[in-house]
Amino acid sequence: MRKFFSNRRLVLIVISLVAAFGLMGGSVTLRNNKSTPPLIQQFGNDIVGFANDVVAYPANWVGSIYSNYSNLLNTYQENKELKAQVAEIAQTKVRDQTLAKENKELKAELKMKSSMTDYELITAAVITRTPSAWQKQVVINKGQSSGIKKNMPVMSGGSLVGRVTEVNKTNSKVELLTDTSESANRFAIQITSGSKTVNGIITSYNSSTNELIMGEVTTKASLKKGAKVYTSGMGGVTPKGLYVGKVSRIGKDDYGLAKKVYIKPAADFNNLNIVSVAKTSN
Amino acid sequence: MYRISRLRFIFPIGLFICFFLDGSLSKLLGQLYFSYPYSMVSELALLWLVLAYFFEDDIQIPLTGFAILVGAVADLYYSGIWGLFIFLYPLMVWLTRVLAKNFNPSFLTSILIFFIVLAVFELLNYWAYLMIGVVSVGFADFIVDVLAPTLALNLVYFVILYWPISRLYRKTLAKEQR
Repeated sequence: MRKFFSNRRLVLIVISLVAAFGLMGGSVTLRNNKSTPPLIQQFGNDIVGFANDVVAYPANWVGSIYSNYSNLLNTYQENKELKAQVAEIAQTKVRDQTLAKENKELKAELKMKSSMTDYELITAAVITRTPSAWQKQVVINKGQSSGIKKNMPVMSGGSLVGRVTEVNKTNSKVELLTDTSESANRFAIQITSGSKTVNGIITSYNSSTNELIMGEVTTKASLKKGAKVYTSGMGGVTPKGLYVGKVSRIGKDDYGLAKKVYIKPAADFNNLNIVSVAKTSN
Repeated sequence: MYRISRLRFIFPIGLFICFFLDGSLSKLLGQLYFSYPYSMVSELALLWLVLAYFFEDDIQIPLTGFAILVGAVADLYYSGIWGLFIFLYPLMVWLTRVLAKNFNPSFLTSILIFFIVLAVFELLNYWAYLMIGVVSVGFADFIVDVLAPTLALNLVYFVILYWPISRLYRKTLAKEQR
């Protein structure tokens, strides 16, 4: 056999290894510290995004035909259930409008501009998903030009699914709550049980049971299974009151000192077509 | 000669269709590909590169160059982290070359080579991301939840696509011989 590590090959391997890890380390640091990627990267992403539409458009069309068909099959059953809910929703909506109006008037009275509950939603379509086991990431078709900024929370089907991690001019990347990296799901959340409110953050995600975990909870308040979990608005980027999911069970942490609250997320992370990005007004 | 062959259009177009289909399939069949706790990674682009090496005959497609290109786009567009796929794809092309030299080309040896290349690809991907902190999953979980389903999915791709792609290459090359 020829000598495998000839001098030239060895040098080439070392150089590529150094370059690979240098680039990876550099781009991770850059991504963590800057609000937008370098201009060249944005430009490249926008171009590839356009090219992707050529393939994604027919693919999504086929997908939508299939989902229309499967929706049609259970229409009857669904219709019966939904009818029962409609009457209730109309009442809730009217009450909601009245309360929102009152809230606005009261805020004006207090000369308060806006609070963490004021946000608007930017609707975007999901173009594609990163084919990776590690990065649970989707690309959406709105970017800087639509007012999207890094770290904005992203919702789908009325509940939280992730946050924006990279913004280009015409598309951006959204990291889902299920991502394996450690920073993906750190959202400040709260749970109301009775008259008490428990604050905390999402600390991890359990992929085998599809549950979000709120760790380090030291409260004495008894939390009930099925209690609704929503964002608390602390931290200043994520608005208050975005629905996350329901409490599914409560356990102890490894040392038995604090509680661990398991939350069943309301969204289906593997079936995202339309998402909305929540933009706080302040 | 690649420069005057018809493959100079067919190969890059096929490569990028495969590349974008990876993402689109992951999105459309997300419930199938990423059902908890398993993740299947679609690697059509890698399949296209490996098959191109088997079918190219004496038309030498500049595979390494295209591998670097598609790797750069994967880094840019899919992962957003530079420096992994841009090196991994050309490395896999090289690995295919080294392995293929030792076997007679047939369907079974091709599928074996693709299996090895794919396993090495996923393994290096896991290690690199583990080192820079993107992944926080144990090695045993990686083997069971990611590597095994990924191999299964991509071997299914291979079996389905081997003959159509082989036919495509044979027809294109036969036309040129006339």
